Amino acid sequence: MGSNKVNRRRFVAGTAAASAAFVAAPFVRGAYAAGKLSVGFWDHWVPGANKATEALVKEWADKEKVEVSMDFITSQGNKLLLTTAAESTAKSGHDVLAFSTWLPSRYADQLVPMNDVVEPLIKANGPVNGTVEYLGKVGGKWLAVPATSGSQIKGPCSRIDLLKKHAGIDIQAMYPAGAPPKADGWNLDTFLKAAEACQKGGNPFGLGLGATSDSVDTAGALFHAFGAQLVNEKGDITVKSDPVRQALDYYKKLMAFLPPDVPSWDDASNNKFLVSGQGSLIMNPPSAWAVAKRDAPQIAEQLWTHGFPAGPKGRYAPFLPFFWGTWNFSKNQSAAKSLVTHLSQASSAEKMVIASGGYDLPAFANLTTFKVWAEEGPPKGTLYHYPNPHNHQTLSIAAAPAPHKIAEQIYTQAIQTQMVVRFAKGEAMDKTLDWAAKELEGFSRN
Amino acid sequence: MANTAVATGASTRPNYGSMSRDRTWALRWSYFFLVLFAIFFLMPPIYMLITSLKTSAEISAAKNPWWISNPTLQNYIELLTQNQFLVFFRNSAIVSICVVIITMLISVIAAFALARMKFWGSATLATGVFLTYLIPETLLFIPLFKMFAWVNEVFGVQLMNHWWTMIILYPTLTVPFATWIMIGYFASIPKELDEAALIDGATWMQTLTKIFIPVALPGIIAATIFTFTVSWAQFLYPLAFTTSTSELVLPVGIVTTLIKGDVFNWGQIMTGALLGAAPPLIIYAFLMDYYIAGLTAGATKG
Amino acid sequence: MADIAARNPAVVTGDRRSSLHKLMQRKSTIAFLMALPLILLLAILVAYPAGFAVYLATLNKGMTRFVGFGNFEFLFGRDTFWLVVYQSCLFAITAVIFKAIIGFVVAHFVHNIPSKGQRKWRGMLLVPWVIPPAMSTLAWLWLFDPSYSALNWILAHFGIGNVPWTGEAGWARFSVILVNVWIGSPFFMIMYLAALKSVPEQLYEAASIDGATWWQRIWYVTLPMMRNIIAITALFSLIVTFANFDIVRVLTAGGPLNSTHIFGTWAFRVGIEGGDIPLGAAVSLFMVPILAVAATFILRDITKRGSEV
Repeated sequence: MGSNKVNRRRFVAGTAAASAAFVAAPFVRGAYAAGKLSVGFWDHWVPGANKATEALVKEWADKEKVEVSMDFITSQGNKLLLTTAAESTAKSGHDVLAFSTWLPSRYADQLVPMNDVVEPLIKANGPVNGTVEYLGKVGGKWLAVPATSGSQIKGPCSRIDLLKKHAGIDIQAMYPAGAPPKADGWNLDTFLKAAEACQKGGNPFGLGLGATSDSVDTAGALFHAFGAQLVNEKGDITVKSDPVRQALDYYKKLMAFLPPDVPSWDDASNNKFLVSGQGSLIMNPPSAWAVAKRDAPQIAEQLWTHGFPAGPKGRYAPFLPFFWGTWNFSKNQSAAKSLVTHLSQASSAEKMVIASGGYDLPAFANLTTFKVWAEEGPPKGTLYHYPNPHNHQTLSIAAAPAPHKIAEQIYTQAIQTQMVVRFAKGEAMDKTLDWAAKELEGFSRN
Repeated sequence: MANTAVATGASTRPNYGSMSRDRTWALRWSYFFLVLFAIFFLMPPIYMLITSLKTSAEISAAKNPWWISNPTLQNYIELLTQNQFLVFFRNSAIVSICVVIITMLISVIAAFALARMKFWGSATLATGVFLTYLIPETLLFIPLFKMFAWVNEVFGVQLMNHWWTMIILYPTLTVPFATWIMIGYFASIPKELDEAALIDGATWMQTLTKIFIPVALPGIIAATIFTFTVSWAQFLYPLAFTTSTSELVLPVGIVTTLIKGDVFNWGQIMTGALLGAAPPLIIYAFLMDYYIAGLTAGATKG
Repeated sequence: MADIAARNPAVVTGDRRSSLHKLMQRKSTIAFLMALPLILLLAILVAYPAGFAVYLATLNKGMTRFVGFGNFEFLFGRDTFWLVVYQSCLFAITAVIFKAIIGFVVAHFVHNIPSKGQRKWRGMLLVPWVIPPAMSTLAWLWLFDPSYSALNWILAHFGIGNVPWTGEAGWARFSVILVNVWIGSPFFMIMYLAALKSVPEQLYEAASIDGATWWQRIWYVTLPMMRNIIAITALFSLIVTFANFDIVRVLTAGGPLNSTHIFGTWAFRVGIEGGDIPLGAAVSLFMVPILAVAATFILRDITKRGSEV
């Protein structure tokens, strides 16, 4: 018992010394040799993509002599969200955890600021986009580090043959591989006409209108294209405004050309719709294409990932970042920061991008031109425009720029897609807006 | 017993033409509808089996979903060689077996005390046990979530994210029902039996182990099967309280790790679901009569 | 039933020999000790959390402040909450009625056929009840899949177009109820079958001699004899269906447009996924009044039958 106590005291002193050393010189290595580190990553949807992360962690662990245990936690059924909630309540858990979109701001009080990690990364790899900054930096503090693994743009992925056949659109000419897009005519009107033509031809567009992130992200980007905000950055409810009405009107027209069951779609439904050969366009990162490559190669050859159509207020595409963060109750914060730094280096990011077949998207501006995107195929160059290499579209997140607490609720309760479905199913515009306003009022509760 | 009466009644009844023709038709209709219902009841498990024998390419091709053109055991091989799945299976097996043991120990002893020995408040307790059976776990998981955090703060024991926490939690779902079944069985044992034993100098414990347990064995088996089925199938508690893949039990493991948001592998999901359903199904296939006895115990005894 | 059983031995044995009498005095202590594990388990992991839920429901979102009925007032102002109340009742009542009817009908058919075949049929028809609901719901989810639905494939042969099983509010509710009925009706079937077998055959013979039609036999003989069983099974099932979690969670997760959320799933969404534990506790507490009503009925039934014994 006695010796045990001494040990613990020595251990506490040791960690204190380590953190003191850490404050003085942030990236001194080898100061946490005694440490154990547990890490919870997002369980990647692309088969085999976890391997790169595993290898990188092992590389770091061997170098630093730290024993690392890794969990890959799926976001399916909100499992990752649940894990985060459980760890925050129990005040114990992983030392490094993947925080999805809204969670850094939700747990702002319990996270260790990461400015000393993020700022050097920005210096080395270029600035991050506005969405990442909105989600990850609150009150001047970086709450977590933008992660490569799992971050994604959910742009359109279309069937080259079907768009040509039904709508007369040559999507490869509009978004040529290796060159800037020539897509000035690619706007919401063209999009609507193409949706109609494809639906008439028997291969509708597959835009989900359910409550999961794929559906919400698409709706969010289209709302942004109209400048439609449900709540503004000051927290005022602005749902009863003309841009919101325009967005709903547009969506109502669009929904007539979508499959009737889109309100129940989850993140897998659109992929299945495309891979089964029924659909001609979905909004998704390249995982649908990756599955098609495995299960239905003849369809994969006809897939092309490209940019969003432009609306009256601009061209927006949904960007869904993941973050790596550390709880303030973590016992080994310095090691955690060191690991995250290691995972965020350009070379690490490239390894993750390659392993995920181009799915993962680093948040830093200089890291969007890896060779893998230009080379992946078939068809060759299908992913060239996926990382938005020519800054052709504004990367956005649904419900921004509302205050985080409200925006998160708008996002997770899928208020935008619910509004669309209500209105498109024949509810009066004012009734839909009233309903939304009432829900939004509830979100400001604390 | 009653059905033998029906059968003999039918065969000994003299053959008035219309009466027996009525019966034949009633029988035909009965079979016809039973076949219909059997199709309805067995369709999902059969479809599970069909899908589990297909490759994902065949599933994606979206041809006749009820036919397998290239049967393969690949899904089973992949799943059963996958470490993660075996971990789920092991967790589920250990949890279920421990829960069965704990439940039977607690409930048999308590049921004996409640059915045969009187103490202050025993009647209220018997009613109370019955009432807790009516409190669903959907009411309890949120306070438990908070209680666990409190236990961690005060005692430093982390109950969150451990499969063995389920061994503590599941008995709340199984003990009331098992106790209830056992009270019913014990109550049906003639009182002269234990009185005689007591007068002969046996202790209460001896009365229980030497007389009651052997006599009530069918009831105990029924309660055991029932407890096993309930703890194998429990979904909400493990979903709420465990997260790491090494800590999941089978149903939650299958639902959360085999379905990956964007990428779907229904062949494997159905294989997993079928393997997850297998242990209760196998036990049921062998011990069906006990299982049914357990289900209907309340009906015939209570 | 239980209290009768507990009371009788003492009455009978009270005036026996004195050695037995001494034993009796120690008996209550032993009995209490034997029931102690049960009492502790239920007190710590059922009764205490149930009480704790009431306390939690009176706190604010951050659990820093007492707000009294604030959470309930907030809930009463939410359309979604009333939708959940409506759906929970709709699902539970509709599903139980159909379970009862199907269970009754199937039990009759099984009872009708010669006894040596009964065991086989009974075994087959009970399978849905044995499979863990989360697993069988996965099979249903796959049968309902929008792009690959095997049910729609069959229906297409009858000229019926794509049914959005989980895609439209009405159909999604239907699907949830369907799966509930599928899982639950075998239980009714087996209970009714046991009850049917306990109806004396002479009653039917007497009825048919009086010239009763099959319908009259069911109405005047079978149903009255089975009244108790039907009531108890239905009430039990009502509670289980009402508090259901896994079916809805796996099948629709509450969608589309919250049209299939019930108390359990919505409490999970609000309390654990949404991080508002007090509000989640408040939501699940709303199950209590309904459970209490059911419990009263069941208890009345049990004590009534207890006094009949």
